[in-house]
Amino acid sequence: MPRIRLEGLVKRYGAVQVLHGIDLEMDENEFTVFVGPSGCGKSTTLRMIAGLESVSEGEIYIDEKPVSHLEPKARDLAMVFQDYALYPHMNVARNMSFALRLQRRPKAEIEQKIAAVAETLGLTPFLERKPAELSGGQRQRVAMGRALTRDSSTFLFDEPLSNLDAKLRGQMRAELALMSQRVKKNMIYVTHDQIEAMTLADRIVVMNGGYIQQQGTPEQLFKNPVNKFVAGFLGMPPMNFLDGELTHRDGTMFVSGNGFDVRLTQARSQSLQHVASKEVVLGIRPSDLSHDEKAPEDRSLSLGIVVSEYVGAQTVLLCDCGGQKIEVELKSETPVRAQGNMRFSINPEGIHLFDRQSEIAL
Amino acid sequence: MALKNEKQNPAFYALIAALIVMSVGPIVLMLATSFKTNVDVYDASVSAFFFAPTIANYETVLCNVLWYEPAHVDYCNPTFGRALGNSIVVALVSTGLTLVIGCMAAYALVRFKFMGRGTVSMTTLLMRMVPPAVLLVPVFGIWTFQYHLDGTRLGIILVYTAMNLPFVIWILQSFIVQVPIQLEEAARMDGANPMQVFFLVVMPIIKPGLAAAAIFTFRIAWNEFLLANALLDRNTRTVPVTIVNSITEYDINWGVIMATGMLLAIPPVIFTFVASKQIITGMTAGAVKG
Repeated sequence: MPRIRLEGLVKRYGAVQVLHGIDLEMDENEFTVFVGPSGCGKSTTLRMIAGLESVSEGEIYIDEKPVSHLEPKARDLAMVFQDYALYPHMNVARNMSFALRLQRRPKAEIEQKIAAVAETLGLTPFLERKPAELSGGQRQRVAMGRALTRDSSTFLFDEPLSNLDAKLRGQMRAELALMSQRVKKNMIYVTHDQIEAMTLADRIVVMNGGYIQQQGTPEQLFKNPVNKFVAGFLGMPPMNFLDGELTHRDGTMFVSGNGFDVRLTQARSQSLQHVASKEVVLGIRPSDLSHDEKAPEDRSLSLGIVVSEYVGAQTVLLCDCGGQKIEVELKSETPVRAQGNMRFSINPEGIHLFDRQSEIAL
Repeated sequence: MALKNEKQNPAFYALIAALIVMSVGPIVLMLATSFKTNVDVYDASVSAFFFAPTIANYETVLCNVLWYEPAHVDYCNPTFGRALGNSIVVALVSTGLTLVIGCMAAYALVRFKFMGRGTVSMTTLLMRMVPPAVLLVPVFGIWTFQYHLDGTRLGIILVYTAMNLPFVIWILQSFIVQVPIQLEEAARMDGANPMQVFFLVVMPIIKPGLAAAAIFTFRIAWNEFLLANALLDRNTRTVPVTIVNSITEYDINWGVIMATGMLLAIPPVIFTFVASKQIITGMTAGAVKG
C-alpha cells in the first residue's frame, strides 16, 4: 500500500531537540521496526507519523503527499497503543466498531466486519464484555482488533507487547508475524526488544539519541553493523567487545590486546591498510566462538572460565580475557571445566572491528 | 472477642438516638402536621401525633392538578402548582446548563495548555467564596435595569448557573485528570474530531463526576431562596419563595405550609436517587494497563 517517506524530521520540546533530522523511506507492504533504548526517539517518530505529535521541522510524505499538517484521521492510519487504550464504557464489539461507527458505515457491514475480525483473533465469545472483564492478552487482542476492523493502509504499533508476560508475548509475536503475512499492509512497529525486531521486521531501523544509527534487513544489521552501538544492541547474548590495537607483522594484520593476539584474513588486512588510528575495539559475538583446544593460537582465544550458565540447549560461559569480560555461547553437550582455561577458536567471518574513538565499524 | 466488640457503651446508643431525633424529628413533625386540620394545629389539647388525619391540606395545595374538585376548597389557588413547575424548570435547566458548560470548561482547564491556566483554575474556585447575599444587590440592579431579566425564569437560571459553575468545574477537573490521555489519542486515531472525542469518550467516562455535580447543583437550585425571592415575580416564583409568602399578616395556615414542604422535598429525593445510580467506581477499569 502506500510508500511512506520521512524527510529531515526534527522534533523539539522547547530548547531540547529529541530528533535530529530523520530520513527514512518505507516501501509498500513493508514491516518496519523502530528499535532502540528508551528515550531514543522511536516512539516520538511513530507519534509524529500518526499525527499525535506536531512536526517541528521536516516533512512526512505518504505516497508523495505531504501530511505533517493533517489531522490523524486524514492520514488513513490505524494504531495499537502500548497500554491498549480501550474505551472502558464500551464492550468489545463497540470498541472495535468505534471507527466504523464514526464513519457512519451501514450497520450490516459493521457487524459483518466485527464478526470476521473477532473470529481471526479468537474474540468471538467476548464481544459483549467490557474491557475490565478481560485478561491482559485479550485486551491486547481487542486493541489489535480495533485497528484491524478499519481498512487503513498502514498499521502503527507502539510497543504493543511490552505489557504482556513472557509466554504471552512470544505467542502474540507469532500471531503478529502470521498476521503481517496475511494482511498486505504497511506496518510500523516500535519496540525496545531486539528479539521482536529481528523476528518481525522486513526492515529494522536502529535508533539512538535521536539519530538513525542504521537501517536494513535484520540479516544485514546482524552481519554488518555499521557501528559499535548497533553491533551491541542486536543479538542475544550481546556482542563481546575487547579493546585492542592493530599491528602489522609478517605481511598481515593482527589485533592484539591484553590476553589475545588474533591474525586477520588477507582480504581484511588489505582493506585495513589505510586505517589511520591503531586503537580499535574487537567485537565477537558469543556464538562465533567454539571450543577447540587444538586451534592455532593466532586464530583463537584462551579464556579463563568464571561462571557457566546452563540455559538448556545452550550454555553461556562468562569468561575472563586479560581482565576484560567476555561471553561464549556453546552447545550444552560441550564439556565445560568449572575452573581453569579453555581455548576457543574464532569464526573468521565473526570478527568485527570498530574505531575506538568514533565507534564506527572498520 | 467478637462478642466483646458487639457490646457498646450505652452512652453511644444514647448519642445516636439523640442525633436521630434531631435530624428526623422536624421531618416527622412536619409530616404529622401536614395531615392535621388548621383547628387541630392550634388546639393544645390535640396530641402532636395522635389525631384524626386528613389529606385536606394536600388537596388544597394540589387543587389545580387533581382530577377531582375537593369539596372543602372554595377557591382553588393555583400558586403551588405553578411554583412547582417553575422550580422544576429552573432547577433542571440550570443543572443541565451548569453541567454542559462546567465539563467543557473543566476539560479545557485540564487538557489545553495556555498562559495563566493555573491562575484561572484557582480563581474559579475563589469565586465560590463570595456569598450570594453580596451578589444580590448588584445582580438585582443589572438584571432589572440593564437586561430586564427580572421576573423571568431565564434570569434566575443564569444566576444559578453562574453560582454553581465554579464548584462544578472544580469537581470535574479532578475527574477529567483521571481519564487516560491515550484514550483520547486512540479516539483521534479512530477518526474522531475534538467534539466527538469529548462527547463520545470523555463524557461517558466522567459520568460519576457529572452525577455528583448534578446532585449538588440541583439541590442548590431547588432550595435557593434569597435570590429567587428578590428576582422573581408572582408568576415565576419557585416553591421556597411561595412557602414563605403564604405566611401573611392575616392568616398562617400551618397545615398547608407543611404539606407544601413535604411535597417540596420529594423531587430532590427522586433526583438524588436517580443520579446516584450513576456514581459507580472503577469507571476507567480496563482502559489502560494500570
